[in-house]
This record gives sequence, structure tokens and C-alpha cells, in this order.
Amino acid sequence: MLKSINSRVSLVLLVIAIVYLIFSYQLPSYAYTEVDADVIPKVLGWLLVFLAILLFFSKDNETEAQRQKRNIPKKEIGMLLGVGALIFIYIFLLEILGFILVSALFIFFCSLFLGYRSHIVNGIVSIAFSAFIYFVFTSLLQISLPSGILPL
Amino acid sequence: MGAMEGMLTGLQTAFSLQSIFFVMIGVFIGTFIGMLPGLGPISAIAVMIPITFGMDPTVALIMMAGVYYGAIFGGSTSSILLNAPGVSGTVATSFDGYPMAQRGEAGKALAIAAIASFVGGTVSVVLLMLLAPMLASVAISFSPAAYFALMLLGLTAISSLSEGSTIKALISAVAGFMVVTVGIDAQSGTQRFTFGNTNLLDGLDFLVIALGLFALAEVCTLILNRKDKSIQNAHKIGSLKLSKQDWKDMTGPMSRHSIIGFILGVLPGAGATIASFISYITEKRISKNPEEFGKGSVKGLAAPETSNNAATSGAFVPLLSLGIPGSGTTAVLLGAFLVLGVQPGPLLMTDQPDIFWGVIVSMYIGNIFLLILNLPLIPYIAKILMVPRPLLISLVVMFSMIGVYAISFNTFDLYMLLLFGVIGFLMRLFSFPAPPFILAFILGGMLEQSFRQSMTISNGSLSIFFQDPIALSILAVAALSLFIPLISKVRKGKKNN
Repeated sequence: MLKSINSRVSLVLLVIAIVYLIFSYQLPSYAYTEVDADVIPKVLGWLLVFLAILLFFSKDNETEAQRQKRNIPKKEIGMLLGVGALIFIYIFLLEILGFILVSALFIFFCSLFLGYRSHIVNGIVSIAFSAFIYFVFTSLLQISLPSGILPL
Repeated sequence: MGAMEGMLTGLQTAFSLQSIFFVMIGVFIGTFIGMLPGLGPISAIAVMIPITFGMDPTVALIMMAGVYYGAIFGGSTSSILLNAPGVSGTVATSFDGYPMAQRGEAGKALAIAAIASFVGGTVSVVLLMLLAPMLASVAISFSPAAYFALMLLGLTAISSLSEGSTIKALISAVAGFMVVTVGIDAQSGTQRFTFGNTNLLDGLDFLVIALGLFALAEVCTLILNRKDKSIQNAHKIGSLKLSKQDWKDMTGPMSRHSIIGFILGVLPGAGATIASFISYITEKRISKNPEEFGKGSVKGLAAPETSNNAATSGAFVPLLSLGIPGSGTTAVLLGAFLVLGVQPGPLLMTDQPDIFWGVIVSMYIGNIFLLILNLPLIPYIAKILMVPRPLLISLVVMFSMIGVYAISFNTFDLYMLLLFGVIGFLMRLFSFPAPPFILAFILGGMLEQSFRQSMTISNGSLSIFFQDPIALSILAVAALSLFIPLISKVRKGKKNN
């Protein structure tokens, strides 16, 4: 029964819809308002339940190319997770070490991780780019970015 | 202020040195990002939004519009040279553009694409100038019920017209709407789905969604395809010259599809991608030698290229005159307007004629710049395609993060960006289209507001939507747009039996 991708996806959606509906029914609603804040969420929740059920029974009409997209080699999944982890570290360190330092390190290591081997070009680009963006944002656009530990 | 005076203000605004400079920057960056396979106009606009903070709104919007049509214009280059469309609106371009390039006539193909794009873009701006003010003067009397119906139509149309399953597209739209209900409800002040987190009180910023679902998800695809070797042939372009016969072959398709593309662009849900496919199919159907199509036909290249650019300007009609975007891309553009404190809609033309007309008139200038960028300069610009993928990926990620950080100064939004990047990638894997999601996210707040306003006016009776003739007819079209794919499916099923 759960062999088709559609039915599996629709079950996940159904769970999301039910959780959303549970929270929707906890929203307060007051007398004397025609349509309160809880109405639209409830409608949306039930709509998703309805659509998920439709999806469950609908035939899988994906093309071969679309199905192929899901065949990602294990190594590539590792790549995606690796970049995700680098992004996570970037966010975590951004306000601690400052924009220029973290961005330069991110560009350098992310490019290196993805297989870029011209270290000198990589180093120049990562430092020059981060410094340039920092300058554009703080001086030209008047948007302050975290300066961090660098004496700027 | 009359339309004539408004147009003069627009001319003045668009021809100021500052505007000319920023339209140039806009189309250049649009071409650049549009050219990169995988990165579309939504990413291009979203990445550019932070740059506009603190800029004069008129100039900023002139630049953003340039980014949009520049991206569609530039998308054709990678379609032709790499058979890897930069944007979905130029997929049909690769059908005949790539075979032509393989024959060693890449220069010719690029020239045809550039000229067709220019003609399509320019003709449709003329039509935009005529139609947008007319629609705005009609729309000024629309009731909240009619607006509600219009937005609903936008959502059903984009869902039924998007590639693949309509059910999946509708699920995308509902999910986008659900995400926008997070935060303090604007009408009653009730906190919804905030779970006590103060970062969620204002809801999620649309830039988090746009950059996550599009830029970051596109980065994932770039990571998977980073070893693609086809870029190495991109530098062989050859002569850009066209023969007399080529010119002759192009004239017909260019004049036809400027109009077809424009109309499809105006209609909700359609946009550049559908316009280019319909134009390609129509041209093939009316051609005397349909067997040439797909093998490097001049007509087969000129038709979709004219059409997708014409549709881009067409899409500005509902955006500027109704304030309602009809596609994912114009939804993000609407977001850019709102970030700058400009509310497009029927009042824009009279209240801020410099913006309304300035943006429109600047498109003529933008198209001329695009012609220069894409014709004599194309051999140099195509070198952009050679930027090493790993470096490009890192830079796009960094740009997306800074874009989000610059609006909220808060790392919470960055974690949300990462989350939506993952969601966007999963949606791609399971063939859920992302444009309905972003359109629903942008329209959701307005949709709920107009619904609740209507219900308050009618004392809680749904009949208000059936009493207003405009609302009723639009709702009927919306219902029809959902049922047409269903009916055609049933008919197809019958045929197969």
C-alpha cells in the first residue's frame, strides 16, 4: 500500500496538517468578531488534510527524469550535509568572530570542500570579496554588519 | 494628474543619470545571474533586495525591474551554449538554440535570441503603457471581495498551470499560506503559532522564504551538478552575423509572439515559461516545415525568445495596476516593493507617478542596454559561465545569508533560512513546485485581510462573494482554472482506454 512515493509523502503531509490543526483549535476566538484569527488556519489545516488524501489516492505520474532526481549517490549526500554543516557553523560564529573573518573562512573552506584546488585564487577571492561586501554594506548602504574581533 | 503628465514625469525620472546608471547595473546583474545555470530570476531579485535598502525607492525599483527582465534575457545564453537553461522561461529556447550552437552557429543563435528578446521586450512595454493605466482606473472601484477573488484566482491559476501535478502545486500553495499565518495576527493581535518565541512575533520575512526556497535550494542542485563538463565548450561562439534570410524568417514570429507573450504574461499564473512553450508550439503548428523544429530552426528560436521577454513586461500589468502578482517571480518583486515602502495597486499611478511611469519607461532603456550586453559584448560576457562552480556556490550561499542578516540583524532568521533551504530542496526532489508556495506566502496576508474585511462588511455572511458581480465572475474563473486540468485528465484517460 505504501509503495508509491505519493502515498508516503501524503502521510507526512497528513501529520503536518493534523499538528497544525491541533494548534489552530487552541487559538482563542472572541465574541463579536465575524471572522477571528482562528478561522483561516482551521480552513488551511482541513484543506491540507483534504489535499493529502487526494494525493494519497492519485496516480504517480512523475516522469523518469523527476524520479532520477532522487537517486543521489551517498557521496553527494555527504557533500550536501557537509555544506549544510559549514553554513551552520557560519551562522553560529557570525556574531562572535565578525562578518569579514567568518565569510572569508566560509568561502575558502566551502570552495575547498567542493573540490576547488587553486588555493591562491581561492584565498584572494575569499578575502577580497568579504572585505568588499563589508565595505559596501557598512559605508555605502549604511547597514552595519558585525565587526567581531577584528579592530574595524 | 493625467496619464500624459504622468508619462512625462516617468520620462524625466527614467532618463535621470541616476536611473540610467542603476538600470544598467540591474540588467547587468540580471543577465549575469540569469545566465548561470540553476539560478533563476527569483534568486536574482531576492539576492539584490538588501542592496536596495536605503536607496531611493524609485531608483531601487527601476533597478529591480531590470534585474528581472535582465535575468530572462540572460537565461537564453546558457540555454543556447550549454543546453542548461539558466531560468525556466528559456527552456524552450534550448530546443532550437542548442542544436544551432552544436552546428557551430552559436553566435548566430545568440544574435537571434538577443534581437527577438529585444523586440518582444520593447513591443510589450508599449502595450504595458497602454493597458496598465486602463486596468488601474477600473481596479480602483474593486471591493475587498473582488480583491479576495482576484488573489484566489492568482493562486489557483498558478497551481493549475504549473508543471506536473496540480494537487502537489495546491499543496505547495496551502503550505505557503500556512507559513504566513505564523506571527501576530494583524487584525486581532492574537499570536498564532509563535510558541512563545519572540523572533516569530513578526512572522517570517519573505526574504527568508525566497532565498531559502529558491537560492539555497538551487545551490543544492548546483552542488550535485558541479562536475558538469559542458561549460568547457562555452567559449566557442563564432560569428554573430545574420543573413537576409534569417532576418526574414524572424520577422513573422517576432511580431506574432510579442503579442501572444504579452497577453500570457498579463494573465495570472502563466508568465514567461508557459508563454515561451505556447509560442514554440504555435509556431511549430503554423509552420510550413515543422520538421525543421528542434534541429536549429530560426523560427523555433525566435518565437519563444520573443514570447518570454514579452511575458515579462506583461507580468508588470497586474503587479503595478492591481498590486497582485500573478507568478512566483512577480510575487518576490512585490516583496521588493513592500520592503521599500511602496504599495503597488490602483493608487500607485496617481499617487506616485514617478514610480509607476518611471519603472515602465526605464524598461525601454533597460532593453537597449540588454541588446548591447547580449549582442556585441556576448563573447566576453559568456566567460562568466566559466567561473569555477565551487567558488560560485560559496559566494551565492554567503550572499543569501548576508541578505537575510541585513534585514533582521538576527541569527535566528539565518537558521530559518537554512531550514527553508532544506524544505526547498526536498520540494524539488519530490516534484512540488516552489512558485505557488512563494506566491501564497506573499498573497496570504492580503488574502486573509480582504476575506475578513468582506466578512465584516457582510456581517459574517459568505453571500457577499456572490453578490458582487466582479467577485463572482472572478471566482467562477478561479474554479474553472482548477477544473480544466481535471477535465482534460479525464478526457485523456478516456482516450487511452
